Amino acid sequence: MKGCMTVRIANWIMTAVVCALMPAAAAAQGAAQGIPRTADGKPDMSGIWQVMNGASWNIQDQNAEPAPHNWPWLGIPASKGVVEGNEIPYTPEARAKKDANFKNRATLDPEVSCFLPGVPRITYMPFPFQIVQTPNYMAVMYEYVHTIRHLYVDGSDHPEGPIEWWMGDSRGRWDGDTLVVSVKHFNADTWFDRAGNHHSEEMTLVERYTFVDRDTINYEVTVTDPKTFTRPWKMSMLLYRRKEPNFQLLEFPCYAFDGVSVGTRPKDVLKPHKPE
Amino acid sequence: MKTYRYVSVLALLTAGLLMLPSYAAAQTAAQKRWDPPKTQDGQPDIQGFWGQRSDITTYSIQAGAIDREEHTRLGGQATQFGRPIIDPPTGMIPYRPEATERAKFLNAQHRAPQKPEYLDPVSRCFMEGLPRLIYQGGMRILQYPTYIVFLHEWSHHFRVVYLDGRPPAGSNIKMWMGDSRGRWEGNTLVIDVTNNNDRTWFDIVGSFHTDQLKVTERWTFTDPDTIEYIATIDDPKIYAQPWKLKVDLGRNKPEEQWESAMCEGNKAVHVAFDLPFEHEVPTNAK
Repeated sequence: MKGCMTVRIANWIMTAVVCALMPAAAAAQGAAQGIPRTADGKPDMSGIWQVMNGASWNIQDQNAEPAPHNWPWLGIPASKGVVEGNEIPYTPEARAKKDANFKNRATLDPEVSCFLPGVPRITYMPFPFQIVQTPNYMAVMYEYVHTIRHLYVDGSDHPEGPIEWWMGDSRGRWDGDTLVVSVKHFNADTWFDRAGNHHSEEMTLVERYTFVDRDTINYEVTVTDPKTFTRPWKMSMLLYRRKEPNFQLLEFPCYAFDGVSVGTRPKDVLKPHKPE
Repeated sequence: MKTYRYVSVLALLTAGLLMLPSYAAAQTAAQKRWDPPKTQDGQPDIQGFWGQRSDITTYSIQAGAIDREEHTRLGGQATQFGRPIIDPPTGMIPYRPEATERAKFLNAQHRAPQKPEYLDPVSRCFMEGLPRLIYQGGMRILQYPTYIVFLHEWSHHFRVVYLDGRPPAGSNIKMWMGDSRGRWEGNTLVIDVTNNNDRTWFDIVGSFHTDQLKVTERWTFTDPDTIEYIATIDDPKIYAQPWKLKVDLGRNKPEEQWESAMCEGNKAVHVAFDLPFEHEVPTNAK
């Protein structure tokens, strides 16, 4: 019976009574039983997902603002931050760096060059992403600059460092119905948002993906980086399944846009070589 | 008299028949019959890691030895001999007369491009398009009942090929990798790639196309470790006829795919146009 604990009771009437008397447990169990599962019984996270929040602008509380360019009405919406306690525990030097980043974000943000945004920023860029799943590997394909994250869920360790990747290296395991992903081996070149929140190459993450219902995943990230923060800190948000009929990823290769791609930016002074 | 003539005609016919290849020998690899392992939902199971065995280089898909010499001279790297174009038999792209001037222009430009748009888009870290991605590097294939996923480590390209009969995106949507819809015909996966933009090249020397491009791929699973890939390339605006290229794919040893960040740190345009080599984005690293 959907939403009801499976209890081996000889008499079906007893089963019905048990279900009726346990609504809270049944609801929780119902969520667990109602989620899609793979053939090997794991939660099946395949599908297309997207956040609905303002974290790409600012992972902390954000007031509405005019857009920082020629079209002020295309502004920044107000949003509540996704950081637990709304506090990011920077060291004093790192906090000064954040303030400098914010002041110069129009030139310093790596998103200005449309570079790979790093983790967790890629998750909450305002674009859909698609998960495909096998028993020992999951691929996350993002519409934003066709980023791919390879999640190895095969019990393997991170490769030995030092390695500095934009998207880190991801090793996942199942903790009950929660996918837990350890992410390590970052460079220091990505930000958390457009507000200048940053990290060092020593950052490591633990992501937790848990179904809330069939079409919603709770996504939680614990950030550890002793070079930048005085303690680990957490953010969390919901991932919503894109359910429009025939929904599919399209493309956003902004690195190829005029004004972004090298050679087309206003300050580029080109000196072509003479043909031989 | 009559008998003699009859016998000589018969002899000629017999000789002619003996000269015809038997039907079995004339079958291409594509038509050999075998029963591949299947996925749970009944597709021939092509999942795994694949790479080209055809000796094709992305430098130039038309002329072999001529471009080999130039590629080695320009870049110090010996190119390969594979000539992937199988139709027309000349191995050359059948441009319409009005398109040959642009083809020659781009080919001449690639040695010393006068504008960034005349430098190979892939060298600038832009997307490969099809079929170039197939002779660029290896791939991993994952199959599901309503779609097949191709994951390419090179510059983190991916394709989701829908098998469920849904229509492609509306014709106003144009993409670097196009939009792919597939179906199985026996052991051959047929993929129609529509909705292409005009930004990709088939090789470094400037084999170009318009946004009328349509690519039809045929992936024929011929034995457990072999796929014969044939792409028919059609662009009635600039080609006098559709043309075909072939890539032999072999099964690779499974290996983790890792990050391949092509844009970050790319200096192709800097080198070609003498732009200063500053770090693109100031780094937080010490």
